[in-house]
Amino acid sequence: MASKFGLAGGIPERKVRPIWDAIDSRQFKNALKHVSTLLAKHPNSPYALALKALVLERMGKPDEALSVALNAKELLYANDSLLMDDLTLSTLQIVFQRLDHLDLATGCYEHACSKFPSNLELMMGLFNCYVREYSFVKQQQTAIKMYKHYQQVGEEKERFLLWAVCSIQLQVLCGSGEDKLLFLAEGLLKKHVASHSLHEPEALMIYISILERQAKFGDALEILSGKLGSLLQIEVDKLRMQGRLLARAGDYTAAADIFHKILESCPDDWESFLHYLGCLLEDESIWCDETVNDPVHPPKFVNDQVSHLTDEQFDGQISIASACVQKLQADTINNLIRCPYLATIEIERRKHLRGKGNDDNLMDGVVQYFCRFGHLACFTSDVEMFVEVLTTDKKAELLEKLMKTRDSLSAPLTKTLGLSISFFKIKQLLLGDMSKSSASDLEVSCVQMFEMYCKNLPLSKDMDPQESMHGEELLSMICNILVQLFWRTQNVGYLVEAIMVLEFGLAIQRYVSQYKILLLHLYSHCGALSVAHEWYKSLEVKNILMESILHHILPQMLVSPLWTELNNLLKDYLKFMDDHFRESADLTFLAYRHRNYSKVIEFVQFKDRLQHSSQYLVARVETSILQLKQNADNIEEEEGVLQSLKCGIQFLELSKEVGSKSLTFNEDLQSRPWWTPTSEKNYLLGPFEGISYYPREILTKDRETSLKRVIEKKSLLPRMIYLSIQSASASIKEHVEVNGSVTPDIISELKLLLECYAQLLGFSLTEAIEVVMGFSNGERSCVVSDSNLIDWLNFTVFLNAWSLSSHELVQPDGNGCRPRIWNILDSMLEKYILEKVRFQEPQLCSPWSGMELLMQLVTEPLAWHGLVIQSCLRSCFPSGKKKKKSGLAYQSSMNLTKAITDSVVHLSHVLEDVLTWITEWNKRPEDEHLENILLLLRKDGHNDGPGEVFHILETFISSMNDAELGDRISQSLKSWSPADVFRKMMTGKLKVLTEFSAICESKLKLFNSMKQQIAQL
Amino acid sequence: MTTIRRFCCNDLLRFAAVNLDHLTETFNMSFYMTYLARWPDYFHVAEGPGNRIMGYIMGKVEGQGESWHGHVTAVTVAPEYRRQQLAKKLMNLLEDISDNIDKAFFVDLFVRASNAPAIKMYEKLGYVIYRRVLRYYSGEEDGLDMRKALSRDVEKKSIIPLKRPVTPDELEYD
Repeated sequence: MASKFGLAGGIPERKVRPIWDAIDSRQFKNALKHVSTLLAKHPNSPYALALKALVLERMGKPDEALSVALNAKELLYANDSLLMDDLTLSTLQIVFQRLDHLDLATGCYEHACSKFPSNLELMMGLFNCYVREYSFVKQQQTAIKMYKHYQQVGEEKERFLLWAVCSIQLQVLCGSGEDKLLFLAEGLLKKHVASHSLHEPEALMIYISILERQAKFGDALEILSGKLGSLLQIEVDKLRMQGRLLARAGDYTAAADIFHKILESCPDDWESFLHYLGCLLEDESIWCDETVNDPVHPPKFVNDQVSHLTDEQFDGQISIASACVQKLQADTINNLIRCPYLATIEIERRKHLRGKGNDDNLMDGVVQYFCRFGHLACFTSDVEMFVEVLTTDKKAELLEKLMKTRDSLSAPLTKTLGLSISFFKIKQLLLGDMSKSSASDLEVSCVQMFEMYCKNLPLSKDMDPQESMHGEELLSMICNILVQLFWRTQNVGYLVEAIMVLEFGLAIQRYVSQYKILLLHLYSHCGALSVAHEWYKSLEVKNILMESILHHILPQMLVSPLWTELNNLLKDYLKFMDDHFRESADLTFLAYRHRNYSKVIEFVQFKDRLQHSSQYLVARVETSILQLKQNADNIEEEEGVLQSLKCGIQFLELSKEVGSKSLTFNEDLQSRPWWTPTSEKNYLLGPFEGISYYPREILTKDRETSLKRVIEKKSLLPRMIYLSIQSASASIKEHVEVNGSVTPDIISELKLLLECYAQLLGFSLTEAIEVVMGFSNGERSCVVSDSNLIDWLNFTVFLNAWSLSSHELVQPDGNGCRPRIWNILDSMLEKYILEKVRFQEPQLCSPWSGMELLMQLVTEPLAWHGLVIQSCLRSCFPSGKKKKKSGLAYQSSMNLTKAITDSVVHLSHVLEDVLTWITEWNKRPEDEHLENILLLLRKDGHNDGPGEVFHILETFISSMNDAELGDRISQSLKSWSPADVFRKMMTGKLKVLTEFSAICESKLKLFNSMKQQIAQL
Repeated sequence: MTTIRRFCCNDLLRFAAVNLDHLTETFNMSFYMTYLARWPDYFHVAEGPGNRIMGYIMGKVEGQGESWHGHVTAVTVAPEYRRQQLAKKLMNLLEDISDNIDKAFFVDLFVRASNAPAIKMYEKLGYVIYRRVLRYYSGEEDGLDMRKALSRDVEKKSIIPLKRPVTPDELEYD
């Protein structure tokens, strides 16, 4: 900002400098003092006022800042003789932008430009305003004006033209502009090129992309091979572009030649090889655009397309490809170049897809690749796509061959270790779900791997503590198998063993993110969520990584009682996203200014992508729901929260529009453990079944549909809670005032939302009500399951609230004035809550899903129902003077009071039971817990079951050789003990329970105070 | 097996496997986007089979007169793809662009004085320690400014080591 000096509005620079200096060094009070002095001399200077507004805004006084800024704007508009300088305008622009009033800033520049239509600086300011507002059409118009006004030829003029062209492209790609607009852009460029040529490589790239988008490949190629082509100075970039255009134009022979040329200069360029092969086989599918392939999750391999080539042609092309690859292999003596060797296997795979495969050739290719590159950590992921085409028998045969090869290769120790790791990895891959191996075979594998890890530890003794160690992956692989064994046997000992192995690994090398991710999922599964959260924090996930990595922890936290931690996660994430949305346009303008036009388009598309992020929408809705949960025990505070959420209206709009939005999924799912490939899926919760977890292609479309439904449902909640509170209080007032009228709007809106909610559950309102009524006989309905239980109960809460003031539906039952739905709701809450409590074994490592549901029951439907009761009760006690009631009204309100009393007493008992259960749990002595876990891992003569690896681990620690392992490793192991891990696990679980217990206590307190209130009635 | 291409925004959503490494900093968005907006030719990513991100390099070109130079801001490789000389390939690319396209005099970079493996690697690639920058990293650890002369600096003047260490405020560029 310090650079903004000049003679602004007639104020000399030296008077302004101290103000900017103070602002830059964040001494705002000081700045304000200087501004006041300045204003005393120049009371009507818009610039001085703009500065004052800026200082006020930075001091956190947005209202005052806005009023001063508006004053400055008025003066600017009113006085024609005043100079419209960019300095004043840009200062005002900053203030308005920071106050979220982009429109006002734009207005100022529009006004200035209308007064001084030939001032280029002002026009650039206006263009910038439109960039900030994403007004692509106006951007285009302004840029064209600048282009026309600018008389000088050369790069400057070219720049404005390209600004206009980019704005057109944005209308088509990110706005509602039709494709035919591109023709206009093309025309502009063509005309300009004819008279002025082009000077910037980025301008040429935009020109080409506009032609390509219109499928004018020939024209694009002509330009690229002409004089303009020399603008692209990175030769390989130019060749890639040419190859793509030729292929898209259908000239596969020429395209293949180009890609061949690339391969000659970059023999390791895998993508170019795929393009080369694709062109030889005339496969057009690889060129499909981003609407088909999500650029963030590109497909792992080229799919099998039925080629239209005849068999003869196919064979011919394949032999051309093979010859090329052989030459590449011969030319590259440097054996670190993987591409030509993997290419051999890809050619075999294509033959296979064509039905002309020879398994032996394919297997030979893999074996050869193993000989050359088997020691590299990427070996398995390199070949995973190829072995997929083999049958189960052939996979076993390949494994056999690889084993023989491994045994016959002699290499230095680190390479041998690498080969062994690759062998174990590919074994997991080839055996798929491992369900064919016996449990004891799998255990033997684990033992072998663990021994290998321990044996090779000395290799890492002199390494920098921050470097990755040799054999690191072995422990993750052991964990994968142990979890598989748990799934198969339901013996939780395996889970504990898996945790122990990873904790052991982290004691030696504390930076392995792969271990941490596995651990956080294991701890979450066991209910030690606070420990899971600690490991998540140790990953130091920040900035854009939150968008791709937060999914590891967020879903579990959303249904946990760790509200403070959850709140921090959500707050940090939303702040990052919102900050980006705020600053993204400025960065786009930076790209405009630096003439990197392709980045302009990219930035706007990226911002759109993040704005449609499914996780972002979830986080926004859940942040509000969390606030509602946190304040549900105090209706006044809850109403404050609702007020800040505009009574839920905002989210209601989101709910309506989310169906038509397309959501983006930006999670990095590759990093998830095999047993939970997406956050919605956890195989361990279901019965054992064979699954193949390599390679995992996730069906985004299915996820999108179901997630949209979740968001739609959740975003109804704030409004429904608000309306339920209103409806409940209206019902009492009606009873109290006999002739008083219930607001019909509330009732009809709530009914409408109930209809929506029912629909999201898959029913009409009438049907859904029938389901609820069906609960009265205490039986479990077949439509209600663990996965939708909370939704059904929430629905019943809102239905009850609606029925209180709507006479449409429910008649009081015989028991006084208490509506039937109210009865049903109370008994449902009781039934499900106590059921969860009863069936939850107080086991330390038992899976936790039942507990999650219990916590949700208390923090959601029970909490919302509590609000309805609070609202009823509050209306029984109108604030101020109590009205004298007529006899009839008195009776009626007494009946409702009884209904409330019953409910409060009923639910208090439920909460008391939950609390007793938690206390029982907590009372168990720590040693008993520890003993129980240890028992899970002790073999005591049994040969089967978990504990084998743990046994070796214990032996290793007790007999380790300090000299062999080096100081660092042996010291870190000495200060580590399995008992500490057990203790950590237990404390983690207890912490969650303690938090939950506090929530229950607070609710119980509320119910008790309501009892007292009723007693006073 | 490396396709090296320009880094684009979507790669930010795909580089988790690289950036979860604790020595790789995940910067804020405006940092990445400023580099993309100003020096797109200095920000490259390496992609392997199965469209996996192997690593990336980000840098810039700046300076006046004989200080006109390429700068390596970050270079990093995912654990799975280490020990294959990928960092070298990425560094060579940035050096080529600085040398041939931007006609810079040298390329420089900063490294933690304690990061022995990295210093060793840069030395192998032809970089020399030009000067020590006192408390460069968060006011605590010293940094080493390492340089490699390009063809335009015929006499290799740019890499003659300074005799005394400098403080961060003496640095010409951020």
